[in-house]
Amino acid sequence: MKGLKLWRTFQEGFKNYTRNGWLTVATVVVMTLSLFIVSMTMLLGITTNLILDNLRDKINISVSFNPDVTEVSILSIKQDLEKYQEVASITYISRDKALSDFIAMGDNDPVITQALEEIGENPLLASLNIKANSPEQYDVISQALTQSTFKEDINRINYAKNKTAINRLDGINKMTRQIGLILGIIFVSISFLITFNTIRINMHSRRNEFEIMRLVGASNTYIRMPSVFEGVFYGLTAAFITLVLLFIAIQALAPLTAGILTNGTLLDYYAGHLLEISLSVTALGVVLGALGGFIAVRKYLKV
Amino acid sequence: MAMIRFENISKVYPEEIIVLQDIDLVIEPGDFVSLVGHSGAGKSTLLKLIYAEEEPTTGEVYFNERPISAIQRKHLPFFRRNIGTVFQDFKLFSQKTVFENVAYALEVYGKTNEEIADEVPQILDIVGLSGKANKYPKQLSGGEQQRVSMARALIRDPKVIIADEPTGNLDPVATKDIINLLLEINKLGTTVILATHNKAIVDKLGRRVITLDNGRVTRDEQNGKYVL
Repeated sequence: MKGLKLWRTFQEGFKNYTRNGWLTVATVVVMTLSLFIVSMTMLLGITTNLILDNLRDKINISVSFNPDVTEVSILSIKQDLEKYQEVASITYISRDKALSDFIAMGDNDPVITQALEEIGENPLLASLNIKANSPEQYDVISQALTQSTFKEDINRINYAKNKTAINRLDGINKMTRQIGLILGIIFVSISFLITFNTIRINMHSRRNEFEIMRLVGASNTYIRMPSVFEGVFYGLTAAFITLVLLFIAIQALAPLTAGILTNGTLLDYYAGHLLEISLSVTALGVVLGALGGFIAVRKYLKV
Repeated sequence: MAMIRFENISKVYPEEIIVLQDIDLVIEPGDFVSLVGHSGAGKSTLLKLIYAEEEPTTGEVYFNERPISAIQRKHLPFFRRNIGTVFQDFKLFSQKTVFENVAYALEVYGKTNEEIADEVPQILDIVGLSGKANKYPKQLSGGEQQRVSMARALIRDPKVIIADEPTGNLDPVATKDIINLLLEINKLGTTVILATHNKAIVDKLGRRVITLDNGRVTRDEQNGKYVL
């Protein structure tokens, strides 16, 4: 009998959902906007993080060694440095590699090749590219290098140049997280409030029906469940529309992110996480709708 | 054993608005009671106390000698199933058909679809709405809508029917129909409490009449007349 009643309240909820015309449209539109804002905020937060990760990946300290330092001794310095826990990775770039990179970077520009030919020898220095585990550690590493036993071999440390960039990135990183979090909370709260209110107005316009239900002897659960299911249907519809809108918005934004993400564009990220994104937007919609229905109808359950 | 007993009832709304005071009444099983009085005399409030839509400020209402205040809130819906209610404004679901409106009273019970398909047409036949099962309330006349409401109240075989101005919106012919229906139901043993402003009906009924004035019972006569 419990199952039968539950099934009936489910049907009742579905009927309300289909019968209420403009109220349904209004509720779905508001919920869609809420879900869209919330998921856009989240996705933008994720994107910013991806961009920052990518930028952070590009930061390093480049230590160039004097031309007379042998490859063997540079490699042994590399081994020593790798023991520091602040150091994430070190790449050795030989003079030849530096030269070929340089030529490749210039796209085999004849002017450059000619200039190099005139010099007659490789003007570039061998270097170690050091990456730290986190941006704050570059300062420490840089200091350690300038006070090291092999400081005489070092031609120049290409850190001071990057220092401002590193610091600024660090600041942006912290700021975006905080702003993102605050904006996220504000948007989510406003969206939820608006959605709850819309569902409440929707229910209020049908308050007579709740009175009838009470008079006829429907239990509180029996009165409440259709509204909860109705909310779930609103949530599902809104989630579906939101996902379509997200796809369109991301497709429009994707070209902007082409150069600054490590792996492809935002669209690739969206496609790669389609299941997670769909599930979380749907879950959010369903929870929002069900909770909205549950709370909205409470007022009409008084005896 | 009394069906309904009011014991020292008063009802005071906020800001000291006294709606009912010093009410002591007994309604026996099978009674047909007319409740008369000016608008605002407290008729509807008195009825609401019976189906527990309102609680008395002082005193106690007994249903079948059980105090209503002792019923837990969550059990009130089950208690209300003993009482059929009919109102001036019919209180029908506008988006449900006649059949669905009546069936709802059985659905909340958990009756099966087969039982519902069996019982609803029977009761619609009794109230004379056999051909209208698939109509919506707005496609019906006032009298027909009130008969839907009656069918819904009757289908659970209640011990008491409370009719609060059931004929207030109806023409004389429909009014007569509804009153006759109430008399029929009463003949079968159901207690009927009828609040009304219709002098002609009350005088013709020749049954018990309780008169309320300013929240007090001013008359209570078997075989009474409509006197305000």
